[in-house]
Amino acid sequence: MTITILGISGSPHRHGNTETLLDSFLDGARVAGASVEKVVLTDLNYAPCRGCNACHKTGNCIVKDEAPGLYDRILAADCVAVASPIYSMGITAQLKGFIDRAQYLWARKFILKTLDFSPDHIKKHKGVFISTAGQNQTNVFDSAFPAITALFHGTGFDYSDNIVANNMDKYNGIKNHPTALQEAYEKGQQIVRELEKIKST
Amino acid sequence: MPVKVLAFAGSPRRHGNSETLLDWVLASMAEEPEVTIEKVPLTEANINPCRGCNACEKLNKCIQRDGMDTYHDKIIEADCIVLSSPIFCMGLCSQVKALVDRAQVFRSRKYVLKLPIVPPERKGKRLGVFLATAGQIWPYVFDAAVPSVKCFYHVIDIKDADISYLMVNGVDEKGAIERHPTARSDATKLGKMVIAEQKKRLDAGRQV
Repeated sequence: MTITILGISGSPHRHGNTETLLDSFLDGARVAGASVEKVVLTDLNYAPCRGCNACHKTGNCIVKDEAPGLYDRILAADCVAVASPIYSMGITAQLKGFIDRAQYLWARKFILKTLDFSPDHIKKHKGVFISTAGQNQTNVFDSAFPAITALFHGTGFDYSDNIVANNMDKYNGIKNHPTALQEAYEKGQQIVRELEKIKST
Repeated sequence: MPVKVLAFAGSPRRHGNSETLLDWVLASMAEEPEVTIEKVPLTEANINPCRGCNACEKLNKCIQRDGMDTYHDKIIEADCIVLSSPIFCMGLCSQVKALVDRAQVFRSRKYVLKLPIVPPERKGKRLGVFLATAGQIWPYVFDAAVPSVKCFYHVIDIKDADISYLMVNGVDEKGAIERHPTARSDATKLGKMVIAEQKKRLDAGRQV
């Protein structure tokens, strides 16, 4: 059974540090035999959540654009790798705009009780966060994690790993980082093997 | 001395909890003499997200032409800048995050181009206020929003110590904040306190 991996790039900067790190993870997964797709959020037509709470009654979003379609693809993937650079100590507004749109899934889970992910389902679905930051503080990613946790919890994924590299300003880009790209590549391979093992049991 | 307040209502839901909290603070500020207030709902401000192009590091301005052209200048002109946001998915709503990210032009000006944000005589005389509401009751529900807020104020030359916070959790459906035991009185007190401090700082500047 082929493992499906969906990469989501939340950076507005095409082929920058974060997307390159995501690509390395996806390359590793591809080499390990996974079926890999990548979505770049700047190419997707979606609006931010309006906070109207209409989904609390219907379980569906009233905004008709490409966000729900991407959520369908997330729900169908075995592994989702979501990537964002750190802007102002958080994920980009583009990625936050997409994550906020998951409110209709939250409503299905907690208000309407029409959506539930079993522990077995969650175990078989792995979420990975990939990020880079210009700054060198080690805590620079901390405020990004809770929104990523919200995304993976809402979509039934086991948020299993962070692949992050700080201090990009000093390294002058991810390509000069001593370990990050290789680490991402290896983790891409590893996660496919892990998922194959979990799904075969 | 006149005080200029610029307030961003960040929620996409008009007149919901975070905006009501903001309105209470602004109403309390407006009772004081010589206070002018401009309230900006971000849903009407046409502020697009940052494109991460880093052009501002060279140009000292953003390459995007949108509402931020106006608010860039207003942010510099204001004495007190108030920002309100609901918590969505454990962070600022994306509309507020877009404003925060677009402050990158100030960061470039300050740290790359080494140019002033405000004239020297106005440094240390500006105050920030962050207001937030969250549906969840977890006490840590605001933790991930605050560092981004600090970044925003930091790059527009408002120090950490000069930011006041009022963050109210456990208010979800529209109007819930009206039933909160202390939110309204806390907001009223905060508005008075910030204007008093703001006047003190501006008056101190005038005497020098």
